Amino acid sequence: MKIKRGLPGIRKALYFALALMLVIWLMFIGNIILFVVVAIQYHEDMPEYVEGGEVMEALTCTQNGYELSASMQEALTKMQQWAMLLDENGKVIWSYRKPVEIKESFTRSEIARMSKWYLEDYPVYLRVWEDRIMVVGVPKFSMWKYNIEFPISWIDYMKSVWIWIVLFEFVLVLLSVLFFTRKWSKNREQVRMEWISGISHDIRTPMSMVMGYSDALLSSENLSEEEKRKMEVIKHQSIVMKELVEDLNLTSRLEYSMQALRVEKLRPAAVLREVAAAFLSDVNEEEADIDMVVSGQAEELWVRADRQLLIRAFRNLLNNSLQHGQQQTVTVITLRMWKEGGWCCIGFADNGVGYSQDLLRQLHNKKKKKVSQHIGGLNIVQKIVLAHGGRIRFENNKQGSSLCEIRLRAYSVKSK
Amino acid sequence: MMELCDYKIMLVDDEPELRRMVKDFLIKEGFRAVVTAGSCREARKIYHIEEPRLILLDVMLPDGDGFSLLQELHKDSEVPVIFLSAKDEDADRLHGLGLGADDYITKPFLPKELVLRVKAVLKRVYRVKEDDKESERIRLGDCTVDLGSGLVCWNSTTEGDSEAAGTKVRELTLTAKEYAIIEKLSANRGRIVTIDALCDAVWQEGNYGYENTLIVHIRRLREKIEENPSRPRYLLTVRGLGYKLL
Repeated sequence: MKIKRGLPGIRKALYFALALMLVIWLMFIGNIILFVVVAIQYHEDMPEYVEGGEVMEALTCTQNGYELSASMQEALTKMQQWAMLLDENGKVIWSYRKPVEIKESFTRSEIARMSKWYLEDYPVYLRVWEDRIMVVGVPKFSMWKYNIEFPISWIDYMKSVWIWIVLFEFVLVLLSVLFFTRKWSKNREQVRMEWISGISHDIRTPMSMVMGYSDALLSSENLSEEEKRKMEVIKHQSIVMKELVEDLNLTSRLEYSMQALRVEKLRPAAVLREVAAAFLSDVNEEEADIDMVVSGQAEELWVRADRQLLIRAFRNLLNNSLQHGQQQTVTVITLRMWKEGGWCCIGFADNGVGYSQDLLRQLHNKKKKKVSQHIGGLNIVQKIVLAHGGRIRFENNKQGSSLCEIRLRAYSVKSK
Repeated sequence: MMELCDYKIMLVDDEPELRRMVKDFLIKEGFRAVVTAGSCREARKIYHIEEPRLILLDVMLPDGDGFSLLQELHKDSEVPVIFLSAKDEDADRLHGLGLGADDYITKPFLPKELVLRVKAVLKRVYRVKEDDKESERIRLGDCTVDLGSGLVCWNSTTEGDSEAAGTKVRELTLTAKEYAIIEKLSANRGRIVTIDALCDAVWQEGNYGYENTLIVHIRRLREKIEENPSRPRYLLTVRGLGYKLL
């Protein structure tokens, strides 16, 4: 079976927009990372050209003119570089490995142009030295030169807003990631929930037949007393199974908060009496008895709760007491309701064998890392109470029998 | 006037064994005409031929769902429909009832419950009175409470069969509140009725705080229907919970 839940249009659009933004953002980030990585990688292979300053330091002025140190000559040759020195009039006064196509003298405009771009297709770098200019060239087509410019006002503006842009983008990324992970995890939860819901659905139809026929056979006159007793057990157990299936489904829905609480105003005293009365009406007198006392103040209490869920919680507690009652004695369930501050307190106690230590450990394990082995009714009681913002405590009393105390937020309205 | 059991019921479910079981129950309970269908297509065909007065409809059918079938059938008739579903989510239940279904039973169910609900819907929709005069009269030993007239009749014990030759010793009338109490208790005979439910029945719903007044009314009622009001045999108190009519 499948439950299809189509996304409403607006959510679909939002989903699409967020996905698009995330993709663009990821591509942008990805490109920057790629660029940086490639640059770093390539940096190692980058030719280490000699710079103008180094050439100048290696150049000494003697009486016979300029002289370049032998090591620098070697370096320039190795890198296939050339160098020349221009005087204040643009005339070449010294050069080393200067290509033939390079002129001997340059005008001011030519110098201005080469400082920005190329000289006869040679990428060149200029270094001003007192009134002279050192020009260092590298092989043709080996370097790409470009000048970038920004208006100062733009730089100032960027300085003031960049922090906000970064923050905005950070939030955007955070939101998208949150949105997607929630979507994914919700999907996973939904799959599990639907699976459980499917199982419980498939069990229900066969269960109908077990319940129906066992009930029908009970009224048959052809059965012996012994057979009737056995049939009674089958019927009773099938009802237990029915409750288990309902609990299983409800547990999974409460677990994933898929069960919306249908909250209404109700009197817990009346609800508890109703559950207790139905319970007593259904069990045999020899099986169980209920001793219920509601304090006068508690009678006037109202709570905001989901009626069906509250009934389920109370019923599960009563059923649990009945199941864990001592053999051969009547299970006596003591129900107490009283008011304590803004709380409506309900105590369930019995004369049975009490909760097992294992069960108590499981119920008190707040983190719930381990999924409990039982889909037990008490687990659901706990979930229901917590879903209502209430508190619950399970313990064994001095006699060793079970005691459960529920607290629900309540307010009182004086009766007439 | 038609009797309750004369109304034709159609059961739509894809599970043959379940169809058989439910049909058997209904027939055993006195319903004379029960037809079954295993799919939407079959249901449409049988519906037009047999014209049932009530439909028990499964939600999940092999060739469609019961919800759409209900909408389709309700286009040109207002046949009451009770859903018989294996889905217990509130959403499904509310969806079904929202579409105009008269009841929603989740599987598994006890046959008695099914029959009771079928009867309740038939009674409500066709306003039939059940062909069961006993339900109008509550018999408590020598005393009979007639809900039709609101009278309590005491018969002499020595006459044996009180129905035929009972000599009326005395007749007592019930007050409106006593009547409401005994009516509520008899409707749930054998089961405990909480004081809250009784207060709701006697005073209007949502009122509370009448518990002490209720005790007074119960005492007066006992004086009328019990042989020994301080040791009641029929109208029993269940301490802390409510009352029970045996």
